[in-house]
Amino acid sequence: MSKASFHILRVGLAITFLWIGILIIKQPEAWAGYIAPWATNLLPISPVEAMQGTAVLDIIIGFLLLIDTLVWLAALVGALHLITVLAVSGITDITVRDIAIFSGAVALLLERWPKNLLLDLSKKKYE
Amino acid sequence: MTTFALLFTLSAIGISETVYLIRTRIAAEQPVCPIGEGCATVLTSKYSKIFIIPNDILGLLAYMVISFIAALLVIGVEPISLWSLLLKILIGIATLISLFFTYLQWREIRAWCFWCLMSAFTIWLMGLIIILSAVI
Repeated sequence: MSKASFHILRVGLAITFLWIGILIIKQPEAWAGYIAPWATNLLPISPVEAMQGTAVLDIIIGFLLLIDTLVWLAALVGALHLITVLAVSGITDITVRDIAIFSGAVALLLERWPKNLLLDLSKKKYE
Repeated sequence: MTTFALLFTLSAIGISETVYLIRTRIAAEQPVCPIGEGCATVLTSKYSKIFIIPNDILGLLAYMVISFIAALLVIGVEPISLWSLLLKILIGIATLISLFFTYLQWREIRAWCFWCLMSAFTIWLMGLIIILSAVI
């Protein structure tokens, strides 16, 4: 991926995550309606509280992507988050777009994957 | 809502851009200059600071405040009229400062900086959006 393509994708995804976070804070009840009943029953907290937590997570992911810090971690959490969203909401007219956001997050993750992270962690363990 | 969404999007682009400039300045690196060759000339000129504060930090602060206020307005946090007024004042001041910096590049420094112009156009676009939203 070229540098420019990477930054365009990063900033675009950052804005998307930030914006969704803000919209969820505005109307958590409405967004909680997207959670499938079987998933709601599994939640240890109310769906509204779960959505408020999701909003905070979305904003943190978006902010990290925006300031180009820990992009791999933000993209990893973002991708896992989107898998969860698709699993608990199903693929609907609205969530179908999450497939594109998920793909973008995976692309960023692959681009910024810290290849030496596991090596460094194992080194620290034995030091 | 559309107005605030656009302002939020533009301010997020501004945050990303100013963070890049701050990082390259701290790392003492030359920023990539996609168009033209005057970025380094402008960014290291005597006009790159207001008193002791670098312009990129002032820009970052302005964009962060704009995005925060736009978010408050979308969520509907009271007092909405005060936030709305603050947003207009801030963008108005930023528009004038951007005009001044563009003039400095044109007449004083005699070099054009891609990132500075991009930031100026971002601010002017915000101003235009506010004017259009008031008219339409």
